[in-house]
Amino acid sequence: MFGALLVAGIVHGLIIGLAALAVTLVFGIARFPNAAAGDTMTAGAYAGLLAHQASGSLALAGGAAVAASGAVSLLGYLLVFRPLARRPVASLLVAAIGVAFVIRAVLGLIFGHQQQVFQVPLAWPIEFMGLRIPPMDITLATVAACALAAAFGVLHLTSIGRQMRAVADDPDLARVSGIRPLRVMIALWLLAGAAAGIAGLMLGVKTVVSPEMGWEGLLTAFAAAILGGIGSPAGAVLAGLLLGIAQEVSTPYVGFTYKIALAFVVMLAVLLVRPRGLFGRMEGVR
Amino acid sequence: MTITRRLALGAAAGTLALPNVVRAQAETFRIGALNPITGAGSPYGTGMQRMIQAAVEAINSAGGVNGRRIEVFAEDTQTSPQAAVLAAKKLIEVNRVRAILGTWSSGVSLAVIPLTNEADILLMHTSGAPALSTPPANAKNFGYRYQATNDRFGRAFAEIAVREGFRRPATMAFNNASGIGNTDGFRRAWAAKGNQNGEHVVYEPNQPSYRAELLRVLSTRPDVIVMGSFLPDTTIILREWFQTGTPVKWIIPAWAANPQLVQALGPAVTNGIIAVDSVSNEGAEAFTAYDAAYRRAMNQPGASNVYAAMTWDMANTLALAIEQSKSFETGVINAAIRQVANPPGEAVSSFAAGKAAIAAGRKINYEGASSVLDFDEFGDVTPDFGVFFIENGQFNRRYVVKI
Amino acid sequence: MEAYLVAIAIIGAIYVLLTLGLTLQYGLTGLVNFGHVGFFAIGAYASAIVSMQGVPLVASFAFAALLAALAAWPIGLVALRLRDDYFAVVTLGFGETVRLAITSEKWLTNGVQGIPGIPRTFAGLGVGLPGALATLAAITLVCVAAALALRRITRSPFGRVIEAIRDNEEALKALGKDPARFKIQVLALGAALAGIAGAFYAHYITYLSPDQFIPLVTFYVWMAMIMGGVGRVSGAVVGALLLMLFLEGTRFLRDIAPDAISGVAMASLRLGAVGLALILFTLFRPQGLVGDYTRR
Repeated sequence: MFGALLVAGIVHGLIIGLAALAVTLVFGIARFPNAAAGDTMTAGAYAGLLAHQASGSLALAGGAAVAASGAVSLLGYLLVFRPLARRPVASLLVAAIGVAFVIRAVLGLIFGHQQQVFQVPLAWPIEFMGLRIPPMDITLATVAACALAAAFGVLHLTSIGRQMRAVADDPDLARVSGIRPLRVMIALWLLAGAAAGIAGLMLGVKTVVSPEMGWEGLLTAFAAAILGGIGSPAGAVLAGLLLGIAQEVSTPYVGFTYKIALAFVVMLAVLLVRPRGLFGRMEGVR
Repeated sequence: MTITRRLALGAAAGTLALPNVVRAQAETFRIGALNPITGAGSPYGTGMQRMIQAAVEAINSAGGVNGRRIEVFAEDTQTSPQAAVLAAKKLIEVNRVRAILGTWSSGVSLAVIPLTNEADILLMHTSGAPALSTPPANAKNFGYRYQATNDRFGRAFAEIAVREGFRRPATMAFNNASGIGNTDGFRRAWAAKGNQNGEHVVYEPNQPSYRAELLRVLSTRPDVIVMGSFLPDTTIILREWFQTGTPVKWIIPAWAANPQLVQALGPAVTNGIIAVDSVSNEGAEAFTAYDAAYRRAMNQPGASNVYAAMTWDMANTLALAIEQSKSFETGVINAAIRQVANPPGEAVSSFAAGKAAIAAGRKINYEGASSVLDFDEFGDVTPDFGVFFIENGQFNRRYVVKI
Repeated sequence: MEAYLVAIAIIGAIYVLLTLGLTLQYGLTGLVNFGHVGFFAIGAYASAIVSMQGVPLVASFAFAALLAALAAWPIGLVALRLRDDYFAVVTLGFGETVRLAITSEKWLTNGVQGIPGIPRTFAGLGVGLPGALATLAAITLVCVAAALALRRITRSPFGRVIEAIRDNEEALKALGKDPARFKIQVLALGAALAGIAGAFYAHYITYLSPDQFIPLVTFYVWMAMIMGGVGRVSGAVVGALLLMLFLEGTRFLRDIAPDAISGVAMASLRLGAVGLALILFTLFRPQGLVGDYTRR
């Protein structure tokens, strides 16, 4: 049973990790916790659902989710967060809640509140070293791994990625070194949106798609971003995995209701004991 | 700034002026349709409201009650007690309704029933909570429940488990009053038959995975899992269960195990699931009339919304009771409800037929669209339960359980 | 008609109390509390539970305020060590944890089944208009007292300190004042107001269940505060009244055009309107309708 829970935890953790990646990128660079990240995920899930219904291909669904969430994310930046850039962080937070509500309202108006599902073939589990692994978990884990590889590729191998990390590290230094902030910010919001889109797609494939789905997972994503250390993409993913596994494996001990509160307790403990998270800020990027 | 304030005041005055227009109309018998148009009950609420209106239309075209037309005032509970209390206040105070029909969730009914009691009017609802049967909530016996209690559902599940020869049942419940009501009812009834209860898990809504919960239950090797669940969580749990490759049977209430579930999961996963529903009186004439009205209003089959069939019956039983009592006084009408709904008597399936029979001096027994509609001493309906087996995506009713 | 207006006024006054609490915490001191609903829930359940054990309502209300304030104590200790944004996330988590605890601890709260039959305020006057009017009078009195107290606070040395915390905490520290004590006091005071609001709510609705305490309630209060005017006592009142107009106004919209908007769409539209209000006020009128932004 432990092994099976571990497998479930890894898949769950990858979803949290991707959502946390979206949160931590914005938190580290735009400097506020983006409460609209959850609903950006939902937008990706619906776009993926439409593409999947039309084509039956999970890859195309992924493309649609990335495109839609990226667009929603960028639109939020250009229309709302950019004009507020110099305001106190509370203003940004309140506006982010507003953006989240508007996204959810629009999705509710278009798609209604009935649950929708990805029609994916279900199969019996594969036996592997005494572990029963559902094939769906392997597919989802592969999708997540590809998405993460792409995201880290952008962050570490491209010029815009290096600029993003430089801004995260020290915005003033980045500015005097001639980095154009608008370009970096656009790339940032697109990348964060794309990560949220893939997370939404995975959550949708695994569960059911409804307008509320993303908001429900927001707190866990925040917790993972904080646990991993704000502004640390690798930290966010690892913390997501840790939280996912902890939530699944701990349930026999803490009960099924409090497993949701586990994320909150972890977050509080990290903030009080080690505010820079497990992995601290990204360093040495110049 | 001042403009905004003036605008706001103007808007307030405008909304307050509205009800006065309503007041000026001719003498009618006023009822409130208080339904979950928005919020968690929204999949059902609009249909429920439309069916109150449709039934009242039929009643009015049959000459109304005691010579008066019935007038419907519609409101939204938002499936929230706070909004429902305000809506009920508006219906009672502004619209001066003489009965409120169609509150859906237990929380809403429990918050509204003190108000209807205080105003000396009837409340007809579809909630499952046991507290609604007895004082203080039902202190005046003005509350009527058109939906089988969750406890009754649980007892039906136990009958089915015995009949199907299951020995080791486990239970899983969605953490709300209805979900836990189902499984608690089952466990009590199962233990009362001298059996041992198996593993019991209560799970939270909106989780990305239910595997820990599921594995905990499956590890006790049950032969059947009895659910107190809703559609989204059932979808996720069954999908994860199928991927574990562990054989087990399922007994699930029909509001979760419905055609949408089959559509979501496909016939292979859902094969052999036992879906249980209070028998919505499909053979009956009342159901045919309701079904036609529902299709006209909602463009969907009537069977897709069991609560709308209940609100249809609410309007009809209320109207028949008024006709029977020859009065508009709540106390007198209340005394007549069981007279027109319960046996013995001539079975009638519409207001028009019942009105004619009453005029001819015969005792009637209204057979509804949602059930045969007989009330016990608490004002609860006592329906039979249909047992459906899902086979190749089809719902086949094998038998009916009476409790 | 009168009773309906009184009902709206009572719910509106409950929101005024909640908004005053948030005004003290955020508007005056700058503490970004996203878990207001948690204190509201604690007050509601505390008063309901002890009053059903036979404790008189005056005592149960005091207990509600006290318990909510005590719950704010650890949150305040956390707040001392956190930046605004982290504090917001922590309080959001606090609100959700309170709801989960209410759901789980059945022995105390009856879990998801909820608590029916909570005694009314002024039950001796019956459920009708006299009882409701007395309740309205009582809650109005509390609102006025709270508003006056807030006014007084803003003009007192205490008020100047907490506004300094909002505007420049470092400078305050340099002057030798310890912001910690003030932050905790402000949080506890605001939470006590939310707790009293919860007690009024519990004894008015007479039925409590965990699903009445979702995060949306917090953001309704934020919307009221932002629309009315951040940091102004009059803003809190105006904002809460606007909120009620919005919540109840949508009801009459259906009376006028029942078929124009389907029920499901209405829920989305209501949510979208809250969202748009939050965005537009933050963008274009951060001082709210009656606020005074020049001081910020």
